[in-house]
Amino acid sequence: MSANPLRPAWLALALLLASLLLLLLGAGVGSTGWESVWRLAAPDADPLAWQIVRDIRLPRTVGAWLAGALLGLAGAVAQGVFRNPLADPYLLGSASGASLGVALAMAALGVSPFALQGLLRLGITGAAFAGAVGAVLLTLLLAKGAHNTMRLLLAGVVVGVVLGAASSMVLMLSPEIMQAMQSFMLGSTSFVGWGACALMAAVLALVVLLAWSLSRVLDGLALGESTALSLGLPLAPLRLLLIVVMALATGTAVAQTGLIAFVGLAAPHLVRSLVRAMHGWLLLLSAGMGAVLLLGADLLARWLIAPQELPVGVLTAVLGGTYLLWLMHRRNVQEIA
Amino acid sequence: MTQAWALETESLCVSLGGQQVLHELALRLPAGRWTSIVGPNGAGKSTLLRALAGMGHEKGRVLLQGRELHAWNGRARARTMAWLGQNQAAAGDMSVYDVAMLGRLPHQPWLGAPSALDHAAVEQALRRTQSWDWRARSLGQLSGGERQRVLLARALAVQAQVLLMDEPLANLDPPHQTDWLQCVQELVAQGTTVVSVLHEVSMALQAQELVVIAQGRVLHQGGCADAATHRALEQVFDDRIQVRAIDGQWVALPRLPAPR
Amino acid sequence: MLLSASLPGMAANAQVSSAPAAAAITLTDARGRAVQLAAPPQRIVSLLPSLAESVCALGACTRIVGVDRYTTWPPALAHLPRLGGNLEPNIEAVLALRPDVVLISVASRAIGRLEALGLKVIALEPRTHAEVHGVLRTLATMLALPQGAEPVWARMEQGLAEAARAMPAQARGQRVYFEASRGPFAAGENSFIGETLARLGLVNIVPAALGPFPRLNPEYVVRADPDLLMGGVRSLGESREPYPGWSALRAMQSGRICRFAGAEADLVIRPGPRIAEAAMAMARCVQKVYP
Repeated sequence: MSANPLRPAWLALALLLASLLLLLLGAGVGSTGWESVWRLAAPDADPLAWQIVRDIRLPRTVGAWLAGALLGLAGAVAQGVFRNPLADPYLLGSASGASLGVALAMAALGVSPFALQGLLRLGITGAAFAGAVGAVLLTLLLAKGAHNTMRLLLAGVVVGVVLGAASSMVLMLSPEIMQAMQSFMLGSTSFVGWGACALMAAVLALVVLLAWSLSRVLDGLALGESTALSLGLPLAPLRLLLIVVMALATGTAVAQTGLIAFVGLAAPHLVRSLVRAMHGWLLLLSAGMGAVLLLGADLLARWLIAPQELPVGVLTAVLGGTYLLWLMHRRNVQEIA
Repeated sequence: MTQAWALETESLCVSLGGQQVLHELALRLPAGRWTSIVGPNGAGKSTLLRALAGMGHEKGRVLLQGRELHAWNGRARARTMAWLGQNQAAAGDMSVYDVAMLGRLPHQPWLGAPSALDHAAVEQALRRTQSWDWRARSLGQLSGGERQRVLLARALAVQAQVLLMDEPLANLDPPHQTDWLQCVQELVAQGTTVVSVLHEVSMALQAQELVVIAQGRVLHQGGCADAATHRALEQVFDDRIQVRAIDGQWVALPRLPAPR
Repeated sequence: MLLSASLPGMAANAQVSSAPAAAAITLTDARGRAVQLAAPPQRIVSLLPSLAESVCALGACTRIVGVDRYTTWPPALAHLPRLGGNLEPNIEAVLALRPDVVLISVASRAIGRLEALGLKVIALEPRTHAEVHGVLRTLATMLALPQGAEPVWARMEQGLAEAARAMPAQARGQRVYFEASRGPFAAGENSFIGETLARLGLVNIVPAALGPFPRLNPEYVVRADPDLLMGGVRSLGESREPYPGWSALRAMQSGRICRFAGAEADLVIRPGPRIAEAAMAMARCVQKVYP
């Protein structure tokens, strides 16, 4: 921790500027590597190029920003609710739930065009969202509410393992979906259009508002659960609400971009290593940091081997893993607790 | 005239991990006075304090200022009674000032920013524990004693009428222990009820009332200056201590076997 | 169907010993291993769908006693016991069938185990047209067919030529994008699907330089603007644009999209003796969209 930590407002400004810069870059990264966006504004510019930017690159770029913000926020909420710096948004089984939902939907789509009409209308994204949120609700049910953190974590592990095994079973029985599933598991922004962006933006606004208004619960929890109770905070219902918010944010992001690792874990850490703030600021800054992280990773994924693409989840894992290694090297373990 | 009781328990039973720790405990703690709770290890002192603070009991009743705890509105109860726990793991990356400000949570509206009153209370609490000068430092950078003083300031910032403290002297060096003593005496003079669990018996004897607990039951409750209380104290510790007066203050000294 | 990028298959060659009495069969499988059989096998276990299909195409369907879970064709094999996946088959079940030979994919982890238990294992995996031909030749040697694999191959070649003839004239030289799996993973020029498309006279927008099954940026397809899209319903969806921005493609606007569903989807993406039928399925679809 630096002697004079940055003021939160400065970090917010820095993240905003980084976002704008990356958004501009993102409009230029595509199947031909990177090209300057200014050329598109010229009067003799190729109309196809502009259409590509408008219909493909911009929604993907904005979508990556939004998904990263959702994951960063969910990560900060998870680390606050469970008072554990290693918590991530997938802690309560939402990753396995989303995988199962997608596997079932993909397997069902091949069976018959007329079967499971509801599932078809829902589509892959709906199935992923339903799976993620459903898994968390199942965890809450198993743990009988959000009274006991230990119980919640155990239930989350159980649900994660069981649903993960179930989705592996579905994969085994329908191996033709294996490649598509892998594509989902590793994450990609290929499927993000303007509709998806609008949805993610709406959910982001909602969860940011909700989480921010509950930030004092997270602050109180930072002093210890008993102390928080003694300060008059109704922990059980508010913790439940925070978990639902986390599930909503995670489910929405996962539904649109697949399972992306490390963003939810690393974003709050990065923020805390740069500023010292209470949860009001921490939640907002984690969202911003997550957005910048995922946006950067997505740009790299699209640019490195153009016209081919790397799965963005692989890049976030590599970048995130590198960061955690550096963190371990630089700090004592004691400082993290 | 009936004396006002700050806290009362009736037939209080608390179990931990399947074992019953407190057995039908009945207690009445007077308002506006400092009561110390003492007893051997494992007697149930911390459990009693937590039950008084409203953290759960299986049977019996706990009354705060004459009303049952669960009848209190959560925030009103938090404004009236503050609790300082033992070994509470607090996140290390908060500033001292912010930690103390958390004590004002029961007074603040849900989405409000801290008011001038809040800032004044925090400043007062931090100055009282000599933590004001380093209010910008992080909790994780402090020594054990400094940290304890900050947590104490957090409890003081609540400005509650009833203050429960579990091992408040942990890690504190003698000057700061004496500070704490003075602080408690000032609070009591202003009408606050203080209930402390202390294993430093000599410190506990500086209170006004003493409650002796062993094996989940109240053995004795009485004034700190009473001989009966001293006797009960010596007995609960198997006569390994002796209570003596030195310059008008009671102290507990180890009782060593007579030299041969 | 396995689209895993594993080692390039080695052409399997075969020779038949010409001793008249006890004809010993020696052949080399895709691992380069020489396998010796005393006689043509009467009990065959197949752990890869394309190998079962190849054996059946060569007329030895009745000799197959067990297949893997994913073999769906021909219907004659439907009553046979399923022996698990091709990567991790049920070793006990395979043993219990007392096969004379086990046909398996090169990537399977069970090869060592099965050989250690004394079974004859032939590892083959066709991934291009040439390799399909090679596999048929190896299996024909294994079955000691006097006429070899040539009649079957000739029929397949005929089928491919027929499919090429069935292509409408205005579809010749049209540029095509074939989606092998959602991602998007495209079928490039040098994949077996790409070879079939080339036989049909279509031009693939994904050149050989990008590999057999590259994972593309969807933008690439928009830039290339193919005349025709092909893929499974699972990849391209039922009706809406498969990826954002694709509604501007001329193929989408003119409705020149071939969506294969169900069994047909399996057919077109599986390398094996039915590539002629696959080509015909593609040609039929092209006929529909190029009236």
